[in-house]
Amino acid sequence: MRLRMKEEKEPEYNIIVDDVYKTFNVYLDKANTIKEKLLFLFSRNRKEKREVLKGINVKIKKGEVVALIGTNGSGKSTLLKLLTKIIYPNKGKIETEGKLTSLLELGAGFHPDFSGRENIYFNASIFGLTRKEIDERLEDIIEFSELRDYIDNPVRTYSSGMYMRLAFSVAINVDADILLIDEILSVGDEHFQNKCFDKMLELKEQGKTMVFVTHSMGSVRKLCDRTIWLCEGKIKMDGNTNEVVDEYIKATS
Amino acid sequence: MFKVFKNLYNYRELLKTNVKKEIRGKYKNSFLGVLWSFLNPLLQIAVYAIVFPLILKNTQENYVIFLCCGLIPWTFFSTAISRSSFTMVENGNILKKVYFPREILPISVVTSEAVNFLISTIIILAFVLFSGLGITKYVLLYPIVFLAQYLLLLAISFVVSSICVYVRDLQHFIGIFLQLLFYATPIVYAADTIPTEFAWILKLNPMTYVINGYRDIFYNQTMPDVTSLLILIGAVIVAIVVGYIIFNKLQKGFAEEL
Repeated sequence: MRLRMKEEKEPEYNIIVDDVYKTFNVYLDKANTIKEKLLFLFSRNRKEKREVLKGINVKIKKGEVVALIGTNGSGKSTLLKLLTKIIYPNKGKIETEGKLTSLLELGAGFHPDFSGRENIYFNASIFGLTRKEIDERLEDIIEFSELRDYIDNPVRTYSSGMYMRLAFSVAINVDADILLIDEILSVGDEHFQNKCFDKMLELKEQGKTMVFVTHSMGSVRKLCDRTIWLCEGKIKMDGNTNEVVDEYIKATS
Repeated sequence: MFKVFKNLYNYRELLKTNVKKEIRGKYKNSFLGVLWSFLNPLLQIAVYAIVFPLILKNTQENYVIFLCCGLIPWTFFSTAISRSSFTMVENGNILKKVYFPREILPISVVTSEAVNFLISTIIILAFVLFSGLGITKYVLLYPIVFLAQYLLLLAISFVVSSICVYVRDLQHFIGIFLQLLFYATPIVYAADTIPTEFAWILKLNPMTYVINGYRDIFYNQTMPDVTSLLILIGAVIVAIVVGYIIFNKLQKGFAEEL
């Protein structure tokens, strides 16, 4: 116990996931009202428990770029959601240090009737930026999104690609210490995808800690030093990217 | 404890935009816009000022002002609570997608209603001035009464907003309960006019002290009962801590329940 306390104090880790279990209650019929809840007291088997993560231990150092791979339903996205504190573990502990930005759901909180510029302010404030910080970043965000001509139009007039580009530009310019990224490299056209990829490399060089969830093994190999392979809620393999990806491809093909 | 404040401070911009959005959004698309912040309470006062003198045998003199001091704070109280009960469900989409301190939502509901209330206070002032009653030095105590009400609402809002995620029925119960509470609060009548056997209800109702406070300041123009207001603030601060602990326990399941 004392040993663990000591480890947590060590500053070089940005993310510590300590023996985390996550169970979801899957309601076959969801009881939202008191009447239903009372009725459901008498009839069982209305909900199933689904164990999604079973004892995950991960430590990620500052500046590490880590990929999470695994088949659908292996718990990758759940782990990311736990890291962002949208959901909480049933057992175990998660600690993160520094400002954390998740690019899980882009454009959360975008308001269709507001202009692109207003939405930049609103979206960035959800990420915890102050007015001043947003003012400073506004130019970079608009520049990166390549939407300067449309920035004062309401967002509802944007195409879905433009929408994602704006959302991505805000998220990437938050200047967080930890970035959590879920299947992001499919934003926009090829030109913009390449641009995003370059931005990721740039952030990597700046020493940001990043965690990716992706199915694209090509970008994993190019971007990540370390890969964690999740299988049915457990870590199957954790180590050098090329080794893990080779094993993973062997196992799944 | 310190961490809670620090986290909120970091997200102050979100709190600000949220409050602004709620104030602006309230009367969006309506022809008269923000004017409704005045018209709504005014018309409401007009209705009560016509109806209650007909029902009650003898009402207070200057009944309109008497009513103002009760009805406007009550509207603040009841809309803040009923909107708190919906706020999590309304924002379910964002709650499921991004992290931000969840307490921002109830706080911005109460704060935006507080801003509305401050605007409506102009109505009270206008009536007091035009009726010739005038304003006395006791007006300086207005912030204390206001603070007591604001903190009280925060405490209630924490509990109500988080429980409503799990028990949606509560939203409807709250509507009914507020209607009941309306009559258990000295709004259309004075606290000392009710039969003694019911006096304990008013004593237990925190809004009694708040409304009596406003009434002493604007209507009776006497020194408000500062002791009971300070006791109320003390009790309310304890309630906020308890409410926040409950909120914090429940907020962990928000994303899964919504």
